[in-house]
Amino acid sequence: MTDMTQDIDLQQVKKALKKEQNRILMQQVLANRSLVIGFVIIALLVLVAVFGPLFLTYDPNQMDVVNRLKGPSAAHWMGTDNLGRDVLSRIVYGAQISIGVGFAVAVISSFLGLIVGIYSSYYKWLDHVLMRVADGIMAFPGLLLALALMAALGGRVSNVVIAVSIVATPYIARVVRSEALALKEQTFVEATRALGASNTRIIWLHIAPNTLSSLIVQATFIFAEAIIIEAALSFLGAGVPPPAPSWGNILSDGKTYIFKAWWMTFFPGMTIVLAIIGLNLFGDGLRDLLDPHSSRGKK
Amino acid sequence: MQAKPVLEVKNLRTSFRTERGKVTAVDGVSFSLGKGEVLGVVGESGCGKSATAQSILRLFDETYTTHEGEVWFEGQDLLSLPAAAMHSVRGNHISMIFQDPLSSLNPVYTIGNQIAEAILIHKNVSRREANARVLELLKLTGIPAPEKRMGEYPHELSGGMRQRVMIAMALACESKVLIADEPTTALDVTIQAQIMALMEDLNEKLDMGIILITHDLGVVAEVCSRVVVMYLGQVVEEADVVSLFARPLHPYTQGLMKSIAQMDCDRSQPLHVIEGTVPSLHSVPAGCRFAPRCPFADDLCRTRMPELEQHGDSQKVRCWHAETILREGNADA
Amino acid sequence: MKSYLIKRLLSVVPVLFIVSTIVFLILYLTPGDPAIVILGEEASQEQVDNLREQLGLNRPMVEQYFSWIGNALRGDLGESFYMNETVMGAILSHLGPTISLGILAELIALVLAIPMGIIAARHKGTATDQSVMAFSLLGMSIPNFLLSLFLILIFSVTLRWLPVAGYQPLSAGLWEHLKFLILPAFALGTAHAALIARMTRSAMLEVLNANYIKTARAKGVKERWVIYKHALRNAFLPILTVMGQSFLSLMGGTAIVETIFSIPGIGQLIVNAVMRRDYAVVQGAVLYVTFAFVFINLAVDMLYGIVNPQVRLDSKK
Repeated sequence: MTDMTQDIDLQQVKKALKKEQNRILMQQVLANRSLVIGFVIIALLVLVAVFGPLFLTYDPNQMDVVNRLKGPSAAHWMGTDNLGRDVLSRIVYGAQISIGVGFAVAVISSFLGLIVGIYSSYYKWLDHVLMRVADGIMAFPGLLLALALMAALGGRVSNVVIAVSIVATPYIARVVRSEALALKEQTFVEATRALGASNTRIIWLHIAPNTLSSLIVQATFIFAEAIIIEAALSFLGAGVPPPAPSWGNILSDGKTYIFKAWWMTFFPGMTIVLAIIGLNLFGDGLRDLLDPHSSRGKK
Repeated sequence: MQAKPVLEVKNLRTSFRTERGKVTAVDGVSFSLGKGEVLGVVGESGCGKSATAQSILRLFDETYTTHEGEVWFEGQDLLSLPAAAMHSVRGNHISMIFQDPLSSLNPVYTIGNQIAEAILIHKNVSRREANARVLELLKLTGIPAPEKRMGEYPHELSGGMRQRVMIAMALACESKVLIADEPTTALDVTIQAQIMALMEDLNEKLDMGIILITHDLGVVAEVCSRVVVMYLGQVVEEADVVSLFARPLHPYTQGLMKSIAQMDCDRSQPLHVIEGTVPSLHSVPAGCRFAPRCPFADDLCRTRMPELEQHGDSQKVRCWHAETILREGNADA
Repeated sequence: MKSYLIKRLLSVVPVLFIVSTIVFLILYLTPGDPAIVILGEEASQEQVDNLREQLGLNRPMVEQYFSWIGNALRGDLGESFYMNETVMGAILSHLGPTISLGILAELIALVLAIPMGIIAARHKGTATDQSVMAFSLLGMSIPNFLLSLFLILIFSVTLRWLPVAGYQPLSAGLWEHLKFLILPAFALGTAHAALIARMTRSAMLEVLNANYIKTARAKGVKERWVIYKHALRNAFLPILTVMGQSFLSLMGGTAIVETIFSIPGIGQLIVNAVMRRDYAVVQGAVLYVTFAFVFINLAVDMLYGIVNPQVRLDSKK
């Protein structure tokens, strides 16, 4: 009987502790200004991308030649473009493509980077091969490699995701690898190995989960970088094929009419800046939260 | 006994503005340094001895630091000089050397270059003349093969040689006062002795006043003529070296003495340590600052701070019970 | 120093090998027959066969690879399908504007960033520091092509101070040359500046706490010289690292910035080649640019030795 009550007490203490931990974590999260501001910006953009279309009166591809190149007005808050399409609608639908591509790249390159990084931390010969390849990819200016890949693959949304993921994966792999190398030396991993756990088990059950926090931070920055590269590719005409309204495509049209219609450049441009600032702030905040040591002197 | 002092510190208070509020690292310190005298400043780390030294030369970033009191040198109060005028005092009239000679030398310049800089700043001489002087200084400090060493970088030298370089730099302009902040702490024991011998030698040859900051009473006994003992930003005892070792009055000084006395004799006794640790400057005790660690402390000690008072000809102490201690001798002796 | 140099040079070899392999393989990523993709669906079989012959597609891949590498090593990167010249010739004729642009952008970045970083470090925590950090975040968050567009909107469209686009070589006069390069150089240099300012700040903060700074002050060195002679020289190492690393992205940005400002440089050459599927030019130019970077980074590493005497001796590093 007494054992029972002690058990229950222990349970309650654990619960209370957990609650207390959560409260402290929450406090830290809220005290982290970059994290909160970054999160709000990203959440807002995602909400607009998902639910925005419900409130829009114009189809993003609906042309209206009479009302072409009209400045911001009550009817068209952000004006119309050279074909009379509503710029606001195009930005909102564009958010789906641009944020979607960014997110897809972040997920895919995280997944690939995790596998590459972890296995190369674990097997020496593999490390030599994979890290040389990573060095090679990282030796290219990212946009140029993406551009060259797009030239070969052809302009499609899925190909943009593939090209940018190839460029981004080594950056994730590097972070995961260095984290995993440090973890490998730690006692708990040694202990698990001594207990006879298989390599696969150690890798996926003990090492991989502990690399996640660094990986997520890096993935946030990749997310931002992917949005930039997608926009740049589309702007150059090598990314998402028109007339689909990605942010880069809207800007590409805007460049032609920059003397007549500043709004075609200004609004999509500011949207991109907002998204990047949001993601960078969020990433910085996340890094401070997950790894307080590295927030100082990031070398 | 005391000639006219070259340097006189009066009621020096140094406070820093920090994120956790104002911190007073030096709290009403007074002492004087005679011409050619070697004055020891002793205390545990964190007692404010280094802060005192750096305050004399005003080395702290003055946006976050306030100095009160006076530091008299050659008829001038250094603390009231304009910041720009301090440049011609530092390294020229008063020099300073530090604890860790490796990190105290700039890694990207040759040592010849760094010593010459001190000369070129203060003296109107050519590069060539400065270099000749550097060579002379290196010889003076006993560095072997000085011509070769001049062109070398700090990391190519041994620890002892680096400290010799620091000393050469401090001697460059024939300063009247040298402040040596734990000059031997980072060095090997044998090298320590060499460096101390060098400093004594230079003190005699050049008649330069030295303020020797250290936590090592052994060193003090060997080279100093007078000693100031500091605790938590205050001077707790001041005496000539003979009186201090014969008759330490402050319980803190006694504690320090005991911790070295045992080293050379009775090894069967457990090593003496002063109870407790130095409190943080953020939570300075209300009364006597040593009270929380003092075997003699009573309610008076815990509520009111004693003043630094004269005892005998050559001794000052900051303790309510100094008379008693003086009468009864060491409590547990 | 010598063994360090040799080691560092050798370490470049695998990277260059991988880079050239990737560049070579890019062509084979193309779904279907590259010859048909280049010529279009309407091309006659004869045309396609001719092109395949010219591209060497009829030979086994390994053989093609080695002949391509062999030629590349001799400086022969093949011929452009669209321009009537060799790829190497095209690269050389487009090199001048890119070099001018790169130098100007780097210069602008340094002139902006290093003083800003120093000032921020010296006044840490003040409003000055915070505005430098805010600029830094903003600078790193605006992609260069967007900044290009915004600069055009402000300085060309609204204020009409500078031309929208175009290029004049240096031989046309210094101002004529610079006039066209100022906006693109700012567009390229700002993100770079933001990063360098940040690095300068944190490196200076670290160095200013070092003991040798205290020694310099105790020697009577004036504050300005403490900063510029004693601190900056030491802080320069991490700054140099960041400069080397972000120079890559700076030059990567030329592709898009040159296109926006119609500057006939390497970047524009590559973009146009991508649009026209001029594979030989894409491969050759990307290879050339990447090689150039690898060697620039090598040069930056060599510079370390000059800045820091410790590296010079510790060949281990």
